Order: sequence, then C-alpha cells, then structure tokens
Amino acid sequence: MQSQVRIRRWPWVAIALSLAVAFTLSMISPADSVQGDLVRIMYVHVPAAWLAYTAFFVTFVGSVAYLVTKNLRWDRIAAASAEIGVYFTGLALSLGMIWAKPTWGVWWTWDARLTFTFIMFFVYLGYLALRRTTDDPIARASRSSVLGILGAIQIPLVHFSVLWWRTLHQPPSLIRPDGPAIQDSLMLAALIVGVLAFTIVYVALMVKRIELIHLEEKRLAVEQSIRRPVAGEAVTAPELGAS
Amino acid sequence: MSDWGWVTFAYGVAYGSLALYALSIVLRIRTARREIGDNE
Repeated sequence: MQSQVRIRRWPWVAIALSLAVAFTLSMISPADSVQGDLVRIMYVHVPAAWLAYTAFFVTFVGSVAYLVTKNLRWDRIAAASAEIGVYFTGLALSLGMIWAKPTWGVWWTWDARLTFTFIMFFVYLGYLALRRTTDDPIARASRSSVLGILGAIQIPLVHFSVLWWRTLHQPPSLIRPDGPAIQDSLMLAALIVGVLAFTIVYVALMVKRIELIHLEEKRLAVEQSIRRPVAGEAVTAPELGAS
Repeated sequence: MSDWGWVTFAYGVAYGSLALYALSIVLRIRTARREIGDNE
C-alpha cells in the first residue's frame, strides 16, 4: 500500500525537484549585457515554447499511430499530450508578453512568430473541444486524430517563422548553424537545465493525465451501465392473487 | 516596474500556473476515483 502511494507520488516529487534546480540556476546566472535581469524570463519562456512543440509532436505521433493500429492507447497519449501542449503554449505566450512589455514597449505585436503561435494555441483548443463532441471513443479518436495530424503542420511554421519572415522576434538561441548564440556557460546551463526540467514536468504530467483519462473512461462505462435499461424492464409482472 | 519586478511577475505566472494545473489534475483524479468507487 505504502509503495503504491510512493509510486503514485513520484511525478510530483520529480516536478518539484527539477523545477527547484532550474530555478536556482536561473537566479544565480549572470545578467545579460543588453537585456539585464530580464534575460531570466527566457529561462522559463524558451523551455515552455520547446515543450509546446514537443507535446504537439507527441500528439501527431499518437494520432498517426492510432489511425494505423486503431489502438485507443495511442489516442489517450495524443489527447493527454494535446492538453499539456495547450498549457505550455499559453504559458509561452504569457511569458513572452511579460518579457515584451519592458523590452519592446508593447505587450503584443502581430509579428509572424507571435501570430502563428497564437493560431496554434487556438487550433489545439479546437482539438480539445472536438474531443468533447461525442462520447463514442472510436468516433472521438478518429476525428481528433485527423486534426492532430493536420495541426502538426504548424510546428515547423511557428519555429522557422523567425527565419522565413522578417520579424521582431529574435532568431533561435540554441539550435543554429553557427552554434548557440549564448556564450556564457552559466547562462547556457540555465537555459539547457530549464528545458530539461520542463521535459521532466511534461513526462510527469503525461503520467498523471493518462491516469485521469483511464479513470474518466471507467466512470463513463459505469454511467452508461446505469443508464442502460435492464432486459425485461418493460414487462409488468402479473399481480398475484388478483381475481 | 523594475527588471526584477518583471522577473518576479514572470516566475509567479510560470510556477503559479503550473501549480494550479497540477492541482486541477489531482482534483479531477480524486473526483473520478470517488465516482467509480475506487478508494485506492
């Protein structure tokens, strides 16, 4: 019993430990020569954006795997990852706005990267809404898999928008042909550890979110078994002893 | 607002929203367990 509780709690312990390490590194790393202390916002904004891409890519893989195998396990993975992806996209947008106000002087501008991210956020909100249109697990999985595959087109569009269009948003900081743009080792460590910590957060949330989907399916099965009329319910029993 | 004010605001949003999202999953799991009579 105790070991079961320990297993059930490991995701929360993993989240707390990884975020504590990432937070410490982001606070002890030096200020940027141009951005000053505002650069610390990048250590949560960039990981949130990366995990949004990762989550939607997993949704894409789960959707393709479902359509090929028709195994609902893949649909559960796709659905859990989409919800977490929407959370990370919303977080990346919010943190970007908080960074933009003191840096650019505005909360928001219709720049290519920001606009495509905004559209991606609403497309995956639509994915979650689509899943609520039916209780039939097969119809739900089939419909949402199509959107899960089509939606993934936006991932490269969002990421490369800073290279394909002239934008206010800065180009990639880590993955570039000429190496990372960050020269200070502690600043680079803060960013990489931030991405790793958010990856652990994503995995831990996925474990709990898939557990929730299993429980919701069981609950639906219980509700449907209660609603189903009992065989012979319409037949009225004869009144015994009536003349 | 100072730079540190913006940083505090950003980390409050990041860690606060994560805590709320995690809490929402915990509560939804607890509700679902209660409704199907799973007391593990």
